[in-house]
Amino acid sequence: MTGTLGLLRFMLRRERRGLPWWLLGVALLWLTQSGQSQNLYGTPEDLAELRSTAEGNAAVVVMNGPARLLDSIGGEIVFEMFGFVAVVLALMNIFMVGRQTRGDEETGRAELIRSARVGRRAPLAAALALAGAADLAAGVIVCAVVVATGLPVGSSVLLGAATAVVPATFAALTAVTAQLFESARSVYGSAAALLGGAFALRAAGDAGSGALSWLSPIGWGQRIYPYVADRWWPLLLPLAAIAVLTTMAVALLDRRDFGHGLVAPRPGRPVASAAFSNAYGLAWRLQRTALTGWLAGLVLLGLAYGSMGDSMQQYVDDHPEIAEFLPGGAARVLDSYLALTIALSALIASAYGVSSVLRTRGEETSGHAESVLATRTSRLRWLAGHLSVTLAGTTLALVAIGLGEGVAYALSVSDATQVPRVVGAALAYLPAVWSVAAVGVLAMGWLPRAAAAAGWTVVGYCAIVSLFGDSFDLPGWTRAASPFDHTPQVPLDALDAAPLVVLTLITGALLAAGYAGLRRRDIGY
Amino acid sequence: MNASPEVALRVSALSKSFGRVTALDGLDLTVTTGEVHGFLGPNGSGKTTTIRILLGLLRADSGTVSMLGGDPWRDAVDLHARLAYVPGDVTLWPGVTGGEVIDLLGRMRGRPDRRRRDDLLEMFDLDPSRKARTYSKGNRQKVALIAALASDVELLLLDEPTSGLDPLMESVFQQCIQEVRKQGRTVLLSSHILAEAEALCDRVSIIRRGRTVETGTLAELRHLTRTSITVETRDPITGVETMPGVHDAVLETRHARFDVDTAQLEAVVCRLAPLGVRSLTSTPPTLEEMFLRHYGADPADGGAGGAS
Ligand SMILES: Nc1ncnc2c1ncn2[C@@H]1O[C@H](COP(=O)(O)OP(=O)(O)OP(=O)(O)O)[C@@H](O)[C@H]1O
Ligand SMILES: [Mg+2]
Repeated sequence: MTGTLGLLRFMLRRERRGLPWWLLGVALLWLTQSGQSQNLYGTPEDLAELRSTAEGNAAVVVMNGPARLLDSIGGEIVFEMFGFVAVVLALMNIFMVGRQTRGDEETGRAELIRSARVGRRAPLAAALALAGAADLAAGVIVCAVVVATGLPVGSSVLLGAATAVVPATFAALTAVTAQLFESARSVYGSAAALLGGAFALRAAGDAGSGALSWLSPIGWGQRIYPYVADRWWPLLLPLAAIAVLTTMAVALLDRRDFGHGLVAPRPGRPVASAAFSNAYGLAWRLQRTALTGWLAGLVLLGLAYGSMGDSMQQYVDDHPEIAEFLPGGAARVLDSYLALTIALSALIASAYGVSSVLRTRGEETSGHAESVLATRTSRLRWLAGHLSVTLAGTTLALVAIGLGEGVAYALSVSDATQVPRVVGAALAYLPAVWSVAAVGVLAMGWLPRAAAAAGWTVVGYCAIVSLFGDSFDLPGWTRAASPFDHTPQVPLDALDAAPLVVLTLITGALLAAGYAGLRRRDIGY
Repeated sequence: MNASPEVALRVSALSKSFGRVTALDGLDLTVTTGEVHGFLGPNGSGKTTTIRILLGLLRADSGTVSMLGGDPWRDAVDLHARLAYVPGDVTLWPGVTGGEVIDLLGRMRGRPDRRRRDDLLEMFDLDPSRKARTYSKGNRQKVALIAALASDVELLLLDEPTSGLDPLMESVFQQCIQEVRKQGRTVLLSSHILAEAEALCDRVSIIRRGRTVETGTLAELRHLTRTSITVETRDPITGVETMPGVHDAVLETRHARFDVDTAQLEAVVCRLAPLGVRSLTSTPPTLEEMFLRHYGADPADGGAGGAS
């Protein structure tokens, strides 16, 4: 354990760029949710009504948690936020602990550290202490934020404790998987899969008898029922889990060699498959894992949006005054809802597009492109290989959104024809999503070092214009610069092909210009 | 492709800068077909930059380059079918196995030779089924080497190909290059390992700060350096220290120690002979000394040798 404190300080320094954003994001989520919920469901009648709608809609319970939370306004906020924030903070813990333990071991950085006067268990202890401190900070912040919005202090402290302890379970869990696997990716992957499992158990339990929820740390946190029953004893479950998992991690650590895992990595193919023989095969191989992850996330998001559609309709039916604020009026509540959620998801698809272009640029900076471009593969072919993933991947991303949302919505209204309709509406955003990715390609061609900044700036810009364009009353030209603003908001608007054709042509021009830049510049810088 | 068949590649007055850093400053290099040409120079002298220009990855600022009768920038793809490259900094895709990398690069280059690949895997004792992230530095280097050596090409561009290899593997590598030479193929070999250069290279070029300082066979280069002399005479020694080509002289009446440029050795010995030489030891320059001199001192001022 020698050197733990010094290491902890060093780790804090390394995390200082990322950690504040996680905490700030969580604080903002609670702040907005608390304000919004207290506005919408200010009276007990509103709450009771919400509870009866929610109990009748399995999808809402599956996404959020046990309907019993809806007995008080504080509980309602926990109902909407806790599961989601617990997943976000659990991911923060998984990445933090994985990076500081196995990640460092994999890159060889840990070897340097261990050769100093640092004990064998010190990196693990420091990583867990770091995660614990971050979780504690998150708990205090969440408690302070909800108290500031007017919720009772005692229950808020319980909520804060749950916010700290539930995600910390996943830090301890990652400490275990970090001993099992040799590659950091397997560590993240297995811990994230278990997190997914915990969410699924909670969802199945809440939709059914509730028994399965007791197998999930997220379920434990919700069963504290802050603001409703204020039970403290479910906190003991995650605490016990943390103790058991940490002991297990230390025991496993003592039984393994440095740099190795307890699960031997599977041997790979000694000979490449026939598909792995050119720029296309390479690009798909390199990007397929990330693409699968994005697609899975987008399908889930689509399912969540789609499952809420019907309740949205009911809610507006019950509160006709709200319909005034909707672009299509009361008659077209659902179409406005679908159009809005699809537009939001399309922004996420464009973020995927940019990340895929930047992966291409990463091939260059890491030196991998050099080996490929020293063969008969031309720059055009190399770029085309990666672009084929970007363009097809963004198409699949929109299909995933449409399928998720379409299927969930079709199920809730028992109307299968909604599936192709929603998929089609999502695909209307394809030219806009492509054009954003194409700006990334243009930057990669001419300003390679600024490509990441340029790509993310465009995504951020489009997001701001789409999300706040109306409420901030932005001038017309700022909106016109976003390709999303030119995309008809299907199914609310009619499909108009002209802007889509123009956007596709612009995409083509940007890609050609990007290639022209790539062709004439040095590779690798 | 109309250049003289004798010359595999010719570079003249090549310059390249990265912003304010001048990497190449009028570099000349000629490699004849069928030779193994050593490309030596201190860290940061521009070897990797030159090879990247030869591959068409970087664009030269000025100067002319012709390789296998073509222009590396314009005809990159056609030329790449005829050459293989081992980068100085081998980075492999972490999730791809060594065998897959070798196959991929072979197929991308064209005409992969499965038999040769398997032979090389055996010679270099590499397990092709491991993911690249689990390879040690030496094993990563082997992957790049096997990928290059397995292909049937006219020209090999090797940038420090043996960094990280153990002595056993180093000797396997040397065997492979001897074989390549026998087949009449051309090799440009950048290296910091002098024994390797001595064992393999027909000719070497030494570059410093982006400029070629010497080119020739190792024997020719040795001739350009200094011999250490210790001498004892019957009569007092005078005037030797001021002779051209004599350096670092320490004189004690009848006893002297100095270094002399090998080209001036004859004149100095003639001067000493009439003084009645009682004893004389001369130490020819070791390869290391020779390189230290070329790497460390500025050749233009003919100053004292040794790494500074
Ligand atoms: N992308 C770059 N940006 C700025 N400077 C660079 C870049 N690439 C190379 N240089 C500089 O160019 C010079 C030559 O570098 P180069 O890599 O060609 O040297 P080298 O002879 O291969 O050295 P080594 O023996 O260490 O491999 C160095 O001063 C280096 O710092
Ligand atoms: Mg180099």
